[in-house]
Amino acid sequence: MKKRLPVLLILVLLFVIAPVGAQENTLTVLCTPQEDWCVAMTQAFEAETGIATSYVRMSSGESLARLRATADNPEFSVWWGGPADAFIAATEEGLLDQYFSPNAEVIPDQQKDPDGYWTGVYVGALGFCSNVEILDELGIDPPTSWQDLLDPALQGNVAMAHPATSGTAFTAFWTNVTLAADALEREAMEADGMSEEEIEEAMAAGEYTGAGYDEEGFPTEDAIDRAFEYFAQLHQNILQYTRSGSAPGRMAGAGEIAVAIIFSHDCVKLQVEGFEDILVTTFPEEGTGYEIGGMGIIAGGPEPEAARIWYDWALTPEAQAIGATVNSLQLPTNPDTPVPELSVNLEEVNLVNYNFVAAGMNRTAMAERFDQEIAPQPTE
Amino acid sequence: MTAISPRRYVDQFRRIFQDPILAISLIVVTVFLLLAVVLPILAMIGESTSPEGRPLFAHYLGTSTYQTIISNTVVMGLVVATVGTALGFLFAYVQVKVKAPFKRFMHIVALIPIISPPFAVATATIVLFGRNGLISKGIFGVRYNIYGLHGLTLVLALSYFTVVYLNLKGMMQALDPALEEAATNLGASKWRIFRTVTVPMLIPGLLSSFLLLFVESIADLGNPLVMGGNYEVLSTRIYISVIGLYDTTAAAVFSVILLVPSLTVFIVQRYWIGRMSVVSVTGKPTGTPQLITNRWVRWPLFGLTMFITLLIILIYATIFIGAFTRVVGVNNDFTLDHFDFVINGYGSAAMTDTTTLAAVATPLAGLLGMLLAFLVVRKEFLGRSALDFAGMLGIAVPGTILGIGFLLVFNNPIQLTLPFGGAEPLTITLIPKLTGGRAILGGALAIVIVYIVRSVPAALRAGVAALTQIDPAIEEASISLGADNARTFRKITLPLIRPAFLSGLIYAFARSMTSLSAIVFLTTPQTKIMTHQILNEVENGRFGNAFAYCVILILIVLVAISILYLTVGSTTGAERTLEGGA
Repeated sequence: MKKRLPVLLILVLLFVIAPVGAQENTLTVLCTPQEDWCVAMTQAFEAETGIATSYVRMSSGESLARLRATADNPEFSVWWGGPADAFIAATEEGLLDQYFSPNAEVIPDQQKDPDGYWTGVYVGALGFCSNVEILDELGIDPPTSWQDLLDPALQGNVAMAHPATSGTAFTAFWTNVTLAADALEREAMEADGMSEEEIEEAMAAGEYTGAGYDEEGFPTEDAIDRAFEYFAQLHQNILQYTRSGSAPGRMAGAGEIAVAIIFSHDCVKLQVEGFEDILVTTFPEEGTGYEIGGMGIIAGGPEPEAARIWYDWALTPEAQAIGATVNSLQLPTNPDTPVPELSVNLEEVNLVNYNFVAAGMNRTAMAERFDQEIAPQPTE
Repeated sequence: MTAISPRRYVDQFRRIFQDPILAISLIVVTVFLLLAVVLPILAMIGESTSPEGRPLFAHYLGTSTYQTIISNTVVMGLVVATVGTALGFLFAYVQVKVKAPFKRFMHIVALIPIISPPFAVATATIVLFGRNGLISKGIFGVRYNIYGLHGLTLVLALSYFTVVYLNLKGMMQALDPALEEAATNLGASKWRIFRTVTVPMLIPGLLSSFLLLFVESIADLGNPLVMGGNYEVLSTRIYISVIGLYDTTAAAVFSVILLVPSLTVFIVQRYWIGRMSVVSVTGKPTGTPQLITNRWVRWPLFGLTMFITLLIILIYATIFIGAFTRVVGVNNDFTLDHFDFVINGYGSAAMTDTTTLAAVATPLAGLLGMLLAFLVVRKEFLGRSALDFAGMLGIAVPGTILGIGFLLVFNNPIQLTLPFGGAEPLTITLIPKLTGGRAILGGALAIVIVYIVRSVPAALRAGVAALTQIDPAIEEASISLGADNARTFRKITLPLIRPAFLSGLIYAFARSMTSLSAIVFLTTPQTKIMTHQILNEVENGRFGNAFAYCVILILIVLVAISILYLTVGSTTGAERTLEGGA
């Protein structure tokens, strides 16, 4: 027995080493949407191309942090999914490679980067996912505005993810920055004595006073501070900040909380998967944010060719139709992809004027500020 | 102690180095501990005191928000340590001193928490006692808020009390019943004996259990993440700093703040409590202990212990049933989907990776621990107690801290550039890149090393305890009969400490399979670890998958323990002689 032990050890070690040796014809995907979608996508891609594909699921803030940390020696070749804000932040930091996929031509211009650093693969709007049974017990209606979430009856009954790790949560944060910027603009215009109509006109034309938006159309410090004030109040009602954006939806489904701030398609997914009588999706009437799920090639990644094959493939209608098979009902960006029946129709939702570039540029600093100012605060 | 001349140190080393195998062992053990334990910790401290780190100390220690987090951490440690020690004491006391039925049953149930990932308990607790819990809501109709300190206390105490139970049980069994008999004969009541004889003799054991639980609970990451609610502690802050912001400096500063109480407690335990031995156990206890039969004492104690036993069973039953249920409490249909996901889906890689790495780490940790124990107990040399201390650091230092230390030290290859060699200076890679993207062996080596570091302390303590009980004369006899040191270690020492070696191995494997905090920053796309995957599933609310993972993980550990018993546990003559003849 004793003599055999070293031999055994060597065998075991070889077993560990062996899979690492095979580097050819592989692809490592950094995947941000929900796990089952990642599985379905990588399996379909592998079947289609014969490229052995593995993935790691990380929330988008987490992904950004990981890419930054491993920039010298990236472990992933392509990053698929998660709000474009994070892709813009990554582009800013030189973490992505330019690639103009021939298949990207059909994608609408506002859903891709003009410089080819990222291309949208799906679109979806933020919403509130509420457990009707719990709301009944608390004696309140499903929230239809951001202010509704501040109701003291909801204390400890709201959950969202942490904006440092989650793109969903960051979208929620930036939505409120945008709303605050709009409000500041309107207040300033009113103070200038403009009429209701004039204000609407000026807002639509982007002729700002500078109170809410600066010259570049980026929200001002005041707008950001006001959003932080909102989240400081909301913090009193938050049970906990999860790491992944869609997790609060499950908490709502299980009845651990009443309201989750998540993407509406993640709530629809839960409804389809067994929570149909329990969960209800609502939208804030002031306006809600939305995401363009991005995709980008990682600069210096180990498998650049396979990454491009993935990139081209992921933009095809066939690949974009995979989401619906696992109840991920985001809207596809390729107009030739059939739109799933249950998908949220964005035209029926009041969307804010979400500035992805401004969001991306501010992402890291805002996430850090949130982590310092809001998340660690005690609640009553 | 009299002063020792430097000559003597030199002599000690000369004696060790006369035997090449002994010398190599000493060097290997020392180098390993320096690289894998001391260096990462020093790097982390270095990072925290860098120009960027120093102002953060002032900020964190001076802001009320962070002061709350620090006090939360300490309060949680104290409360869990108190409750957990009380639980362990209760179980041990009932087991050893009280006449009660179902003792064997309660004993086995109390052992279960050792072999399961800690957050399994947290998840099941949410299902049972959460806002919409099967018991809290289903039976009592209360939307009970389990999130926060009280929930954490329950979960952490149940997860960690086993070690206390085993420690105290061992101590109580070793207590000489003659002392209590003497007290009885002198007319003391049972209560008075309990107060003035039993408890005082157990004080070192109680204190060290308390401190152990304190360290374990402030280092715990999984449970505060899952059910901390708004109760923020340092370990979750460290986690967010790394995974959300990749701010290793902030993480290092938090780590040092967390390291202070951990190390203090460890040192107090080692150098103060370790020496305050109230009772001296000499030889075998004489006579059989008197069991408590007073029904006013017996039945309440039994009832309480049984209640907790049933609670543990309930929790593990929830895990088991939950693994086969679509969504416990919401949709109770039977399903095998969760197992399909874990076994055939993307979880299968994690299953084989984790088991393989733990299987590689286990024998190495066992051998290293025994070797270290042998050197520490049997040999005399300068730095012996420092070596022992370094060996124990793996458990004294919270896992997250070790993980960050590894990221800081091994994220780049450690290279030596030779000053000569013409135009292209010769560069030798001393240690390849171990962590992060494109690390050697896909990061597997780093994880194996961390597993070893975390497991060595238990093997070391078991080895030390076993060796101190074996008369060195047996080994000396072997040497004088002509065997060298290696042969003696292999043929005499190792067989004699085989039970300790076995328990070291079992502990190492279970510990490796269930550890999260130390490896959470070290997993890579090529190397997936089950505990990390469980955390992912739990965090995403897919409790069914998490439960299926837990069931499989528990099964793997049980199978491994059986295999270890069958291979290593088979007794040779020597051990039986020792047991029978001593």
